[in-house]
Amino acid sequence: MKLQHSLGGLQGLGPVDFQKNVFVHEWEKRIFAIHTAMMALSSHLSASLPNYPIDSVPTSFKDIWTWADLRRGAESMQPFEYFKFRYYEKWLGGITGFFLEKGYITKEELEADMAVYLREGNVHPAALPNHEQPAIDEQVLRYLVEGDSGRRPRSKAQRFTVGDMVTIDDPDCNEHTRLPGYLRNKKGFIDVVYPDSYAYFPGPSDRLQTPQISYSIKFKAADIWGEQMSEPGCFIYADIFECYLK
Amino acid sequence: MLFEIALRIYSKTLSNPFVFPVMSIPGDELFAYSANRELESAAKVRALESLLIKKGVISSSTVDTVLHYFDRTMGPFNGARLVAKAWCDPDFKNLLLTDCNAACQAIEMPTGMSGAEGEIMKVAENTPDVHNLIICTLCSCYPWPTLGLPPYWYKDPTFRARAAREPRAVLEEFGLSIDPDVEIRAWDSSGQIRWWVLPERPAGSEGMDEAQLASLVTAEAMMGVAKVVL
Repeated sequence: MKLQHSLGGLQGLGPVDFQKNVFVHEWEKRIFAIHTAMMALSSHLSASLPNYPIDSVPTSFKDIWTWADLRRGAESMQPFEYFKFRYYEKWLGGITGFFLEKGYITKEELEADMAVYLREGNVHPAALPNHEQPAIDEQVLRYLVEGDSGRRPRSKAQRFTVGDMVTIDDPDCNEHTRLPGYLRNKKGFIDVVYPDSYAYFPGPSDRLQTPQISYSIKFKAADIWGEQMSEPGCFIYADIFECYLK
Repeated sequence: MLFEIALRIYSKTLSNPFVFPVMSIPGDELFAYSANRELESAAKVRALESLLIKKGVISSSTVDTVLHYFDRTMGPFNGARLVAKAWCDPDFKNLLLTDCNAACQAIEMPTGMSGAEGEIMKVAENTPDVHNLIICTLCSCYPWPTLGLPPYWYKDPTFRARAAREPRAVLEEFGLSIDPDVEIRAWDSSGQIRWWVLPERPAGSEGMDEAQLASLVTAEAMMGVAKVVL
């Protein structure tokens, strides 16, 4: 069991910090935008539905980077480390690690540039280098506008229909899953069978290598947590891929 | 007097070993932060952006291009327009609840409503009998085109953990008391759908036009942690 897969239902946490800001420090905006640009320039987009001409975009980025890679990084963390770092601190760690590992930048370069910006206290940091390349920004904007839908035609028949009672499977836990841990081995009812199938992103995951039929599954809270440990009149609806159903 | 203070500190130490930092406690070192935590992160992201520009991964303006897009084009103002229109036009409301992406296309919305993180959106309707709440227990899935980027509390592990088990208690903390007779539905997004909520139209808003109504609708109401009020 991975703690970060099984956050749902964790008890004893105290009140929610109702922080309404999207970013709590200015620097967080920039790592968000770097991640979004990487998704927009990812080489897997050559096989996407919008058919982006990704090979001809004048960027030196030649790898795959999707939500799956960001999530995989967070899910692979030592669980206590996961809770130590704030949301965008995890992003910064994962994305910097990726660029170092892939050789786009070196540790020495990063430390040298960090020293410059630290010396300046980040109040009025030195200007960024000048590299005009409108075609990169055009692709990034086009990705934001057209997206990367995983919707694909069905290649097999659905196993369940509306009203069926289903049991969620309990697959081996590896570095990436889209199955919320608290639903493992729980029983729910098929509420909607979504049309078509849905491809997930490339890379290792527990069962998402091929496009999946997807269901909206309705769970009674008491069936998940027990009558005593749940609130009355509550239901959870989860969109679950067929590969996670027994 | 001094003895009393010393005794009080001593007994407090006994009942709570974390009053004084004791580095011999296993795991303590894991939660030690650098005193320059934010400065170092700011310098690191600046260094990273600078290097990525130098290496030709992104351009000098790529980061600002992304940020402007969410400042100006994609935000909760889009969702608010759809909600206001649905309150005024029953046919549009049906379309919104059946096919959110088609509803966005049916009226003049910015291009990109089916773009990143809005490829497939669905809307859950609040009624006098049902209150909906969106959550993402695995990460922070959120409908960017209609609601913009998610606030910190939505991404916070405490909210993600508690909203799944005790939504009524969490909503109380947000200042929203849901009648025990009202069913609560929490939509945990981990698949292909990005969910959001069609809130109830507030009483007393009968004479208002769509633009006035839209100005009442908050991101919190479209996440299900607030009601729309006049």
